[in-house]
Amino acid sequence: MPVAESVLRLEGVRKSFGNLDVLRGIDLDVARGEVVCIIGPSGSGKSTLLRCMNLLEPPDAGQILLEGRKLSEARSADDLDYVRRRVGMVFQQFNLFPHRSAIENVSLAQRAVLKRPDAETRARSESLLQRVGLGDKLNEYPDRLSGGQQQRVAIARALAMDPHVMLFDEVTSALDPELIKEVLDVMRELADEGMTMLVVTHEMTFAREVANRIVFMDQGYIVEEGPPDEVLGNPRHERTQRFLGLVMEH
Amino acid sequence: MDVIVEQYFDFSLIFDNFDSLMQGFWETIQLSIFAGVLSLVLGLFLALLRQLPGRALAPVRWATIAYIDAFRGIPVLLVILLISGSLGAFAVEGVLPRDLAIPNWLGKPDNFWYGVIAITLCYGAYMAEVYRAGLEAVPRSQMEAARSLGMSHATAMRHVIVPQAVRKVIPPLLNDFIALTKDTALISVLGFVEVVQAGRDVQSETFNSSALTAGAILFLLLTIPLARLVDWLIAGQEAKFQRAIP
Repeated sequence: MPVAESVLRLEGVRKSFGNLDVLRGIDLDVARGEVVCIIGPSGSGKSTLLRCMNLLEPPDAGQILLEGRKLSEARSADDLDYVRRRVGMVFQQFNLFPHRSAIENVSLAQRAVLKRPDAETRARSESLLQRVGLGDKLNEYPDRLSGGQQQRVAIARALAMDPHVMLFDEVTSALDPELIKEVLDVMRELADEGMTMLVVTHEMTFAREVANRIVFMDQGYIVEEGPPDEVLGNPRHERTQRFLGLVMEH
Repeated sequence: MDVIVEQYFDFSLIFDNFDSLMQGFWETIQLSIFAGVLSLVLGLFLALLRQLPGRALAPVRWATIAYIDAFRGIPVLLVILLISGSLGAFAVEGVLPRDLAIPNWLGKPDNFWYGVIAITLCYGAYMAEVYRAGLEAVPRSQMEAARSLGMSHATAMRHVIVPQAVRKVIPPLLNDFIALTKDTALISVLGFVEVVQAGRDVQSETFNSSALTAGAILFLLLTIPLARLVDWLIAGQEAKFQRAIP
């Protein structure tokens, strides 16, 4: 791994829902500018891991350090504020605000949370929407946008908060095949610009091309991690091999 | 047959008392507007208290639920009598300031405001339940998206959840408002002259019910357009829902 500043560090993170142990002790260290793709079968805990990172799910045990600050398990308002101003998240189902137009979706938290002045907010939102290729859809409402367009608005909305880390939770899984590329292209650009990204994905080609590191998870553990060539090209663990065998078949 | 027509549809009697009936109806409308607006506000406030997050705020949630359960279960008439009968005594005893206990705000008599307060207490509880249904119908993922953008629970409620919830429940809220409008008639028990009391006054003088028929017609003039508005809003929502299904 490059000897770089650690942005996000997880130590022994555990999470269960009732009797179900979803995360059974996760250690992970993410450097600034790194793109980490998390792969694994469904139910392996990938999404929960991502949701623990921005405290949407508070971990039951273990530590999370974000830019050097240890987050308490208590989920204080202070911690939440600290995390969510630094970590942006994009969801599988987009979760745009349906009662707001594209530009209002991007603007809302800038005004309500960052207290950015109106003119600055407007300029920033416009430029972000242009950047994700939606400069002509500023005033469209989500129900008038395709899935790919909605997801790009969601990415712009997260970027508007100037996050240091971006979390992508299966952001192309709900998209029709022909719409996947436009979203991945935006993510690729973002990675090229040096954004620190954690990407839960089933897009193996994307993972191979864009990731600095692949993390393979199964049953709440990180089974294997390393550069894409190693993990995808020459997996050491039998479970990784079997998973990749199943995924690569089609 | 003639007797029936004469008892209920004596138009000359109605016209003779038209002014006092219209005056009563105007009071009915004012009661409905004050109590309606205040109920809408109280209902939303109660619904939001009920949705407060975290273990520390559980007592607030319980107290809210207790309030809603209580006022949903008590007849409005009984609340009107409880309030009007004893609030005045509080002023005498010095428990409440006189302006609060015997309100004469905006030039309206105390019985007007006792009625508004009682109806608001009850309909606030009904409407809280309507709002709750709306708040719960907004997907959890909306709150998560808002929180992930750094919004606090309150900010997310204000900008993201409540606007969506209210849109969903405007028709049932209007239905409650129609019911509220009719329940203003209960305030006549305090001797306050709204449209029903105005009709009763004529009835007891003339032994003829036509003035009350006029009151009924006036209510229908108010409630039927509201009912059509509700239908129209629901049809609009359903059309939107149909569009969402490919």
